[in-house]
Amino acid sequence: MLDEFPETLVNIEWHSPSYTPGGSDFDLPSLYSQRGNMYGVGGIPHSQWQGVENTVGGYPNANWSPMYNAFLPIYNSFVGNSTPYDITINGFYNTDENEVSYEVTVSMDEDMSSTQQKVDIFVVEDNIWSYWGAVGQYHNARNVARDWITNDGLGLDISLSGETQMFTGSFDVSSAWDSENVQIIAVVQNYSTPKQVYQVAQVNINDMDPDVDDDGIMNGDDNCMNTYNPYQSDVDGDGVGDACDECNDIVYVLGNINGDADISGDPIVDIYDILTLSDVIGSGETNPCMEGIMNINGDGSVNAVDVWFLIQIVINGTN
Amino acid sequence: MRKIFLLLMLSSIFAQRLDPVDLAMQELRTTVEIASRSSMKVFVEDFTGLN
Repeated sequence: MLDEFPETLVNIEWHSPSYTPGGSDFDLPSLYSQRGNMYGVGGIPHSQWQGVENTVGGYPNANWSPMYNAFLPIYNSFVGNSTPYDITINGFYNTDENEVSYEVTVSMDEDMSSTQQKVDIFVVEDNIWSYWGAVGQYHNARNVARDWITNDGLGLDISLSGETQMFTGSFDVSSAWDSENVQIIAVVQNYSTPKQVYQVAQVNINDMDPDVDDDGIMNGDDNCMNTYNPYQSDVDGDGVGDACDECNDIVYVLGNINGDADISGDPIVDIYDILTLSDVIGSGETNPCMEGIMNINGDGSVNAVDVWFLIQIVINGTN
Repeated sequence: MRKIFLLLMLSSIFAQRLDPVDLAMQELRTTVEIASRSSMKVFVEDFTGLN
């Protein structure tokens, strides 16, 4: 079923150090115990669903087929849940260096608190055909954990619809692995109890796109990763290319709340900004470009006092 | 006519039946198929081992 629905079912196999095929390199003792402790794993086999539900135990002789009856209601309980998160994984597999550079991008289409939300990135190897002495059979081990790159999670700072956050890094592909079957799995997980997983994505390292917008600039170096801009123009020098910089820092400066500019492209701070700021404070409706340019007196909060300060700036012409 | 009736009787008596595991598999497959259309994902971590 993993093969039939690779976009829907995502799994990681963590192999107990005490029970791995003889001579295999499946065991990652410290990572196994760290991840297992997150869920209170004791006896195996233990399946942790979406971080919050578990089934413990199996059927003799590694016959997993009857477990579908136990898995079905758990699976059904998660299908249909909505999530505000989307994850995309891109990057580049340098076969000469046996190194993978990755970019995991998390985006949101609904507001949600980011408290305790973390991003974890794993490396797994799929389809490892091994002989398992206990049952005297060969088995195809799926998505065997090879590394937990973000050991203990990376903080997710975004919480508003439309926001994105990128996590970049690299790892080496061991010569003991079959690089054709190495995959990156990224999850958004809440680290408070229960450890709910809100989104997951996976990609084979050979299927990643190193230049998403085809502008000749690799993703990691591109100041507009998703927008074709081969010249990388960035007039305000904020690291975000003009082609995708909605809030140009030359126009959106302190006090220029409505973001208007004169014929030379210089910002205009006038009575209309006072009115816009008053409207924003009254209605609470703002946009990302206004953030950081409304707090005129620099006290960290935007309120009527800022309007008064802005009036002084307009009257005195001291913007 | 009697032969046809007998044939029908035999067909229904010896018709293939799906065992409960097969039915569960079918149901799970349908659910996953629906989920795959709506981009929903389910994440399972298996802590396992054999030697």
